[in-house]
Amino acid sequence: MLLPPDLVAQLERLELVTRKVFRGRMKGERRSQRKGQSVEFADFRNYVPGDDLRALDWNLYARLDKLIIKLFLEEEDLHFYTLIDASPSMDFGEPTKLEHAKQLAAALGYVGLVRADRIRVETLGGAQSPVLRGRSSLPRMLEYLDGIEPEETATLEEGVRGFCQRNHGRGVVVLISDLMDKRGYESALRYLVAQRMDVYVIQVLSQEEIAPEVVGDLRLVDCEDADEAEVTITAPLLARYQQTLEAFTAGAQHYCNRRGMAYLLASNETPVKDLVGSYLRRGGLVR
Amino acid sequence: MNELFRNTLSPGQWAILAAVPPAILALYFLKLRRQPLEVPSTYLWSKTIEDLRVNSLWQRLRQSILLFLQLLLVALAILALLRPGWQGTDLTGQRLVFVIDNSASMSTEDAGDAGDASRLDVAKAKVEGLLDQMDRSMSAMILSFAAEPRVVQQFTSNVRLLKERLATIRPTAEATDLTGALELASGLANPAGLSVQEGAPEVEVVDPEPATLFILSDGKFADVDGFALGNLEPVYVPLGSRETGNLAITNLTSRVSETVPGARTVFLQVANYSANAADAVVELRLDGRVREAQRLSIEPGGLAGASFSLDTPGGALEATLSQVTLDKLDDRLALDDRAAIGLNDPEGGRVLLISPGNIAVEQALATARTERLGLIDSQPPSILKTAEHQRLAAAGAFDLIVYDRCVPDELPRANTVFIGAVPPGERWAPKVDAEAVADDTSEASVVAPQIIDWNRAHPLLANAELGNFDIVESRVVRSPVGGATLIDSAEGPLAAIAPRDAFEDVVIGFAILVEEDGRVQRNTEWINRHSFPTFWLNTLEYFLRDTSGNAQSVAAGQTIEITPTDPTATAVTIVGPGGVREELTRRGAQPFVWKAGSTLGVYRVLEAGEETQRFGVNLLNRVESDVRLSVGTPDDEQQAAIASVRIGNIEVAASAGAAPARQELWKPLLVAALALLAIEWWVYHRRVAL
Repeated sequence: MLLPPDLVAQLERLELVTRKVFRGRMKGERRSQRKGQSVEFADFRNYVPGDDLRALDWNLYARLDKLIIKLFLEEEDLHFYTLIDASPSMDFGEPTKLEHAKQLAAALGYVGLVRADRIRVETLGGAQSPVLRGRSSLPRMLEYLDGIEPEETATLEEGVRGFCQRNHGRGVVVLISDLMDKRGYESALRYLVAQRMDVYVIQVLSQEEIAPEVVGDLRLVDCEDADEAEVTITAPLLARYQQTLEAFTAGAQHYCNRRGMAYLLASNETPVKDLVGSYLRRGGLVR
Repeated sequence: MNELFRNTLSPGQWAILAAVPPAILALYFLKLRRQPLEVPSTYLWSKTIEDLRVNSLWQRLRQSILLFLQLLLVALAILALLRPGWQGTDLTGQRLVFVIDNSASMSTEDAGDAGDASRLDVAKAKVEGLLDQMDRSMSAMILSFAAEPRVVQQFTSNVRLLKERLATIRPTAEATDLTGALELASGLANPAGLSVQEGAPEVEVVDPEPATLFILSDGKFADVDGFALGNLEPVYVPLGSRETGNLAITNLTSRVSETVPGARTVFLQVANYSANAADAVVELRLDGRVREAQRLSIEPGGLAGASFSLDTPGGALEATLSQVTLDKLDDRLALDDRAAIGLNDPEGGRVLLISPGNIAVEQALATARTERLGLIDSQPPSILKTAEHQRLAAAGAFDLIVYDRCVPDELPRANTVFIGAVPPGERWAPKVDAEAVADDTSEASVVAPQIIDWNRAHPLLANAELGNFDIVESRVVRSPVGGATLIDSAEGPLAAIAPRDAFEDVVIGFAILVEEDGRVQRNTEWINRHSFPTFWLNTLEYFLRDTSGNAQSVAAGQTIEITPTDPTATAVTIVGPGGVREELTRRGAQPFVWKAGSTLGVYRVLEAGEETQRFGVNLLNRVESDVRLSVGTPDDEQQAAIASVRIGNIEVAASAGAAPARQELWKPLLVAALALLAIEWWVYHRRVAL
């Protein structure tokens, strides 16, 4: 179940945050740079012919006998993209990393739908959901998320590049992936940076990657490219693996932070509830 | 055989062993057929291994630590099987004869590396070391020798059996005689293999094989003369040290005092075989209680005597050197630090005079001094025919029987004196030559022989002057082989003495008194001379010597006859110093024969549960007590080399530091292999971080 009731209750109180103010396409619940028709007062200006007569401040006209238009702040919607890595490597762990990613996407999407943001879920393979808006779109989003299978073969870079080509608008993009790409994650993230989007990178790792419990002489087979690595598990090797893993995650975090991206490491065993409630909140994605 | 390695396996076994390391390698690589495991990505793993491959050789070593441990284990096992060692002695020849001295001096504790092991133990250890170096094709024989040689183990190539038998060699308290051992070794090493077939020349069946003869001894024996080693190659391995000091009791005797009845004089001799003067304290114990003690100052290499007076009828007398003295001199041989003799009650000898009547001899035997020596009984010749007397005589009930002009049918088991008669049998029969037959005289008798000489050196004629009397008639006495003439006359010997078994027979050719026409007449004037009673006193002292309560000492290994007080006894019990009882039985009138073992001390003879005699078994051997290894002649260039041993015409030099056992490494190697196995097990199970 992607959205358990208690999680929904928690999500109701949250809203998506962007550190940048973008122009939305439709009226939403977000303050925009444009003046609009919210209830919040912004400024006055002289009436010029063609202005909406409903915006005239009749009280001022009575006092000053001048036609003054009252401007209000415009509220807009937010473009919120969730980019899910659906490669076979995500099909590991209990629950699988993909399950975890879907749950996370559902939670964030729900927050966005509730706040009338413009939500779109995509996978790296290029599959994309329709643009979703409003609480009523929740079943459609969940249905779409359910349909994602870990069968895609696109690399991280290809996926991100495709995403950027398809979506020109600015907005918030959350990339949920394990970043395990032999060609590196840097080029992929660079596309996102170039898009000038507000990027959140959530690296999902399974517990067996974080602390592998394997023994003996093994031939490790990569599930994606069938690459093999022969290892004899020893205590020093495991220690070294930990070092490598830490270096890898630390490198990703460092890379993201320097480019204005938010980075978050998530284990598949950390409940989404906790993740959204504390980590993402601290990370500034939700409020 | 002095090389670093010794092969212990046949080529086939080596082949099997050589297949083990490849097998381990093969198994190792088979085992490395790694289990496949699908992982999300090998990205991190590859990175991890990449790091490890930077110093790959060492890493590979680390990874295959188990393989290396196993190979090392096999290498250690192979090395152990090669028996690496050094310092061995070359064993030449296919046959070895080990002759091990186990005489008294070999109990000296001055051999070995620390200088406190007994020489015999060191000898056994050396032989064991040499046995270890034997090839399978070699065979060895072990002999031990003290007073008599003993075959410990015949030729065999079974090293285990040889070692087992070697361990059975026990120290003795006997003297040393190498000759017997050499003869035994030579005889066993070269058995006379002659095949005699009719009409064919003698063919030697067995070719004499050369053998190496190891003599492990301290050289306390005389050079062996008149012995050819043949094809035995001798090696003399001396044991012990040249500086070992020893203080020894070399004599302990006791005599019944002739002047004071019931008193005894004990004479003791102590020898100092060391380079330092010694003050020795000698303690004398009677039945365990200290009776006397005396301090003796003895020069280096000198002797000192001491005499004690005791007024005791009998008991076990023990003389010991005090421990303080022994410690001061660093005495290393304990066997001769004490001596013990049994003091027997002076019971007197039993003397029987069988005579038709001889007042002169009876009176000569009736003096006060002779009465103290023995109980003298006088019987007529008719007693010779009684069965009772014959039984007693055959049982050895008498110490001395004097036959005056009469002859028994059979010589008794006793010393005898024949007066005017010749013992029965062939031995004493006068030579029947042609002349005598022509004279028609059945006995060579002479009239009025002139005494020209007598045996002054013999104890029987001590202080006797025989030149001053005449003899009417005598027969010429010809002593049998081994005898000695006592009185010689112009016509021939008139008296002679000859040994017979353990006894001696004295034959005086002339009668003292003769009965002629019913009257008793003198046959000689001797009875009127001083020498007559002197001769009879000498006779009693000479023959009753051993029964006068004077102690006798028996050497270890010596065989003695025990004469019971009750001549009819058929069994006696001998109780040793430790309370060990030994039952001796006999049939008929045979004496009890007993061989002294190597337990020194006082032995008691029990007859029907009653203690009747005591005797001591002692070393009392100066050659054995001088435990210093003899030094070669000074003109030898080698500084104070140990004297060589001469066997026949061959000088067998002492091989310096001879026959060191091979220092073998295979035991530590095996232990190391086992330790390695344990480490391997641990590594395998713990996946130890290295």
